[in-house]
Amino acid sequence: MSQTQEISEYLVTRYLPGTPADELPADYDLLDNGVIDSLSLLELVGWVSERYAVALDQIDLNPDDFRSVTAVDSFITRNTQGSDTVAAVKE
Amino acid sequence: MTSLPPADAVEAGQPAADAAPAGPSPADAVHAGLSPADAAPAGLSPAGAVHAAARLAPERVAVVHRGGGTSFAELIAASGTARTALDALGLPAGQPIAVRAAKSPQTVALILACFAAARPVLLLSVDLGAQVAGNLVQRAGCAGVAAATGDGAFDWVPAPVPAGPPDLPPDTCLMLTTSGSTGVPKIVPLTGAALGRFTGWAADTFALGAGTRVLSHAPLNFDLSLLDVWATLAHGGTVVLVDPDRAANPAYLLDLVSTTRPHVVQAVPMFYRLLVSAADGGHTVPEVRHVVLTGEHTPPTLRAALPELFPGAVLHNVYGCTETNDSFIHSFGADEARDGAPLPLGTPLPGVHAHLAGDDGEPFDGPGTGELVVSTPFQAVGYLAGDRFPVRAGRAWYRTGDLVTRDDRGRLVLVGRTDFQVKIRGVRVSLEEVEQVLLAHPDVAEAAVVALPDAAAGARISAVLRPRSSGLTSLQVRTWCAQHLTRAAIPAVFDLRSAPLPVGVTGKVDRARLTKELTA
Repeated sequence: MSQTQEISEYLVTRYLPGTPADELPADYDLLDNGVIDSLSLLELVGWVSERYAVALDQIDLNPDDFRSVTAVDSFITRNTQGSDTVAAVKE
Repeated sequence: MTSLPPADAVEAGQPAADAAPAGPSPADAVHAGLSPADAAPAGLSPAGAVHAAARLAPERVAVVHRGGGTSFAELIAASGTARTALDALGLPAGQPIAVRAAKSPQTVALILACFAAARPVLLLSVDLGAQVAGNLVQRAGCAGVAAATGDGAFDWVPAPVPAGPPDLPPDTCLMLTTSGSTGVPKIVPLTGAALGRFTGWAADTFALGAGTRVLSHAPLNFDLSLLDVWATLAHGGTVVLVDPDRAANPAYLLDLVSTTRPHVVQAVPMFYRLLVSAADGGHTVPEVRHVVLTGEHTPPTLRAALPELFPGAVLHNVYGCTETNDSFIHSFGADEARDGAPLPLGTPLPGVHAHLAGDDGEPFDGPGTGELVVSTPFQAVGYLAGDRFPVRAGRAWYRTGDLVTRDDRGRLVLVGRTDFQVKIRGVRVSLEEVEQVLLAHPDVAEAAVVALPDAAAGARISAVLRPRSSGLTSLQVRTWCAQHLTRAAIPAVFDLRSAPLPVGVTGKVDRARLTKELTA
């Protein structure tokens, strides 16, 4: 499973019950469309940090980085590049 | 046939209403050779007016029921027989009785007998359980319960607990009950004068007169029947009773409307939805001159289908409630029916006063959203054995519980019920507004929205909907909501179903049952 597939899978399971992961467009605005609110944003950030070993204390968090599957995907890639964990999580 | 009680005698002792223009008495009208419409000036009680109409045209059909017609003469004869039987019960003057509101000409005659005898009537829904009915009968101080069994004949069951003298407002004529979605129904006593003013307004507005045919879809115990049945009969018109057992059968409704060709139709949106589905774009009912939408918000897609079905009709959006009767009207044509924009409440009926109240309960002017507070010439002054409506500047004002927005041009638009407000993450959200947005989606056939408690957000909105076709996805509906609602109001969950949503007895979606289903 690719990283974007994994993100989509997590999002639909957690916040869009009934929607198949492949129906969620990668650029779907999760914030404007009310999929992610201020409370679930924290939850999503927590999941990303844990699953992809992103150390949050060194990163400026911007809601725009969680606005879509694509945004989350590039946030993870940006913050794990050059790190040893990348190979491990990407399988 | 029983001789007719003089209409003037029926009116005796009833003070002339200050808001009602003086008109000729029915007897004067007869002598002047006026039509029955002219014989029923505003302020005349239904009994007097119906008797006047009957004397002018005894052979005219008063009530159409299951393919048969009851003439005014037959109606008055049955009413006279019932009156004699009522008198024989020897009840104290002015003590009310309850009448089972089974939908038939016989029940109409029985109620008419009570009107003529100046005996207040509590109308009981036939769907009421024994316990609730018993409670209402006792609270209204009724001597017993009558159920019409034939022309002028009725079953009589005395109240088990002899009631004390009821504390009814003078001139109380009818007692209706609120829908009672929460708790025990409240009793709303309406005076003959208020009823007379209302039937006068209805006749003027919808051109009710001799021979006007009016469809009666609502149960007899609903306030809608004050127009459909009583305003019609009081002006010499013909009431077409919809059989309640088949009131939700589209094919029956279309057949009834096609064969009886009413001039005036008043109903809740459900009726029109059924009729539109049965007509399927292939039928028209050109004789209908007035289509009255009432009871709840009509979805834009349904509204848009009405001009084709009723090509000769003016459409009216009427706002009212049991306590005050109709208060606002907005009349519109085909263009506005199709434009999809929210319908305004429109203009207050003659003699109706209204304002918006803020969170502090005080009236305010200018743009904003607040609770609609009204005072009408047709209203009750309070509930029976319950709260009286507050009096301000010499009028009794009723807090409708409806949230209304006034824009900078003074236009009023209904937003929803104050008690359908929930707070999502601190933001006030009207569940009905969410529902209306869902219903405005062209591929949504039915929608209902409920709020469920949520530890984190305070409440969580679940939307249950039935798409018109199977292609619609919940993500598409979500996107639609995001385009039309604030973020807090976007439902957390979309439940798309292929089966119709559960409805209650009034034809509205049963939110309580949905809530139960969703929390199960």
